[in-house]
Amino acid sequence: MAPENRDHSQGGSSGTGEPRNEKFVFPRWTNRLVELSIVLVVGGLIYATVLITGVFSPENSAIGYAPVQPVPYSHAVHAGELDIDCRYCHTGVETGAQATLPPASTCMNCHKYIKLESELLEPVRLAVETGEPIRWIRVHDLPDFTFFNHAGHIQSGVGCVSCHGRVDNMEVVEQVERLTMGWCLDCHRDPDSELRPEALVTAMDWHPEGDPAVLGGKLRAEGEIDPSTDCNTCHR
Amino acid sequence: MPRPLTYISLVLVAASLIPIGMVFKSRSVRSRQETRIQVVYDMDSQFHFRAQSENPFFADGRSMRLAPEGTVARGALRNDDPFFNGTVEGDTLFVTQFPLEVDSGLLDRGQERYDIFCATCHGLTGDGNGLTHIRAAALAEGTWTPPTDLASASVIERPAGHLYNTIKNGIRNMPAYGSQIPPRDRWAIVSYVRALQLSRNATMRDVPPELRGELPR
Ligand code: HEC
Ligand code: HEC
Ligand code: HEC
Ligand code: HEC
Ligand code: HEC
Ligand code: HEC
Repeated sequence: MAPENRDHSQGGSSGTGEPRNEKFVFPRWTNRLVELSIVLVVGGLIYATVLITGVFSPENSAIGYAPVQPVPYSHAVHAGELDIDCRYCHTGVETGAQATLPPASTCMNCHKYIKLESELLEPVRLAVETGEPIRWIRVHDLPDFTFFNHAGHIQSGVGCVSCHGRVDNMEVVEQVERLTMGWCLDCHRDPDSELRPEALVTAMDWHPEGDPAVLGGKLRAEGEIDPSTDCNTCHR
Repeated sequence: MPRPLTYISLVLVAASLIPIGMVFKSRSVRSRQETRIQVVYDMDSQFHFRAQSENPFFADGRSMRLAPEGTVARGALRNDDPFFNGTVEGDTLFVTQFPLEVDSGLLDRGQERYDIFCATCHGLTGDGNGLTHIRAAALAEGTWTPPTDLASASVIERPAGHLYNTIKNGIRNMPAYGSQIPPRDRWAIVSYVRALQLSRNATMRDVPPELRGELPR
């Protein structure tokens, strides 16, 4: 295409260094493109920040996670209304790293005689008959590169409620704490207000009289409780 | 700005709000039931197995292996009949004495364990009115047997080893608690049941004279 013959098209691009097409005029609104692009860049950055922190934050990805379990087992009924102690089922919690979930035979202690025709309990009966474990879905799950130990916490008098919330009111267990490293460290740096006498670790609605930090401070001194913040406590 | 461009950018701005809206929605809706959102996997799930996790390698899918039948782990030999079975050595007769020292430490432990494992059926005082019994009675479960009053004459007469065996293996309609309660704790519970029996059948004569005035009448 010969440049001289162009009367209207994009000007200034012929490479000869001199604009030949004087007829082409950018429309007026394009003057605002500079401002517009600044708005776009700044706005885009803010947008990306909000979106990324939103998607990545544990408030979004972890808190409130409450998967549907294979048996609609309710802590609100068993641990709340019937007031069964947590350790009746989670027998490992005082001595082991894992709290352990109860085997189906533990449910059968009662359900051999109570609600023995209930549809909802069919998977439990099946599990006892066949020896196939019930496949409960994990709610609280730390990354595999971390080390956590229930016994150390329970024996120091950290109540279940500090980390799991009011499980005794939950129809379906849900995660209420962030379970991030920052959350662990917040307490490891200053555990006073979370400590209670060891006998009361499963008392979900217990509150100390007065300032919890005062009692906690006393217990901490007595028990020589000193949670570590060294990396190898939790990463080993 | 030409009309179409304006519309397109308006639509784009509106569309960009959708992901943000989704984030806030999933934050405010508490009980989310979908699978967990995991943005970066890192090394969160590694190729090793934890207690109680599933292991496709074994036919039964358990990562925790059960001990092969007929084997005894080192240090787990239970050849002390009185302590582990509540029976006289080499016999099936129940022991009447405790095979371990009973002190206030054991009683305290017994109280704690009793409250965890037994109170829900037998009640905190052993009278048989635990919350589970009350609920089962309210539901009129025909298959439910009322838990025995632990301070009744028949239970008082039982030798200590019989009570131990009741916890370990269950009795008639009472389930076995051997898998949930280790041997020492079973004896601790037996000692506390004995204490409950004493206290429930106590008379004024059992109270030291100097304390009698403090009792509510
Ligand atoms: C009658 C037995 C029983 C009792 C009592 C009981 N639980 Fe559970 N618990 C279960 C079972 C079964 C599951 C697995 C199903 C589920 O997640 O709902 C479970 C799950 C949980 C979980 C979630 C585990 C995970 O996957 O992260 C927590 C936390 C928990 N229990 C805490 C407690 C606390 C705290 C108490 C005492 C207030 C308690 N439980 C009492 C049987 C019991
Ligand atoms: C100490 C006794 C006891 C134990 C142990 C126990 N339950 Fe229950 N469960 C009850 C009672 C009592 C009810 C009836 C509550 C009601 O409906 O008022 C019940 C009700 C239920 C129901 C509702 C049944 C229906 O049809 O309404 C389910 C599901 C259930 N239990 C599951 C379990 C599971 C799973 C376990 C084992 C982890 C378990 N239970 C252990 C006493 C027990
Ligand atoms: C210091 C905080 C903390 C305390 C206190 C605590 N837990 Fe946990 N719990 C956790 C964490 C973190 C996990 C997830 C562990 C993992 O992923 O390895 C967990 C997991 C669990 C699980 C499921 C997995 C397992 O370990 O078998 C159960 C059940 C449970 N806890 C019950 C309890 C009970 C019952 C108590 C009170 C007696 C309790 N927890 C006290 C932090 C705590
Ligand atoms: C509510 C307070 C609290 C929270 C939250 C908490 N811890 Fe701890 N942690 C303690 C206390 C108290 C001790 C006991 C320190 C001692 O024995 O001197 C402890 C001890 C430990 C130990 C050493 C236990 C042992 O037996 O060696 C580990 C490991 C640990 N915590 C990991 C974690 C991890 C991982 C998290 C987060 C998921 C966490 N903790 C959250 C209070 C807490
Ligand atoms: C009290 C326990 C605890 C201590 C002490 C601790 N961490 Fe962690 N750390 C955790 C937990 C729990 C996670 C997993 C957090 C999550 O899932 O968001 C973690 C995650 C991490 C990660 C991975 C972050 C990611 O998501 O990829 C790094 C890196 C890390 N920690 C480094 C350290 C270093 C370095 C130290 C010592 C200064 C340290 N940690 C001390 C508990 C601890
Ligand atoms: C699930 C409810 C339940 C729980 C929990 C329970 N029991 Fe029982 N228990 C019963 C029932 C029901 C009977 C009556 C059995 C019968 O007569 O068929 C009974 C009977 C007994 C007896 C009388 C046996 C005899 O010699 O006639 C003793 C002793 C006893 N239980 C002790 C305990 C102890 C100790 C615990 C705690 C480890 C416990 N029970 C937990 C339901 C329970």
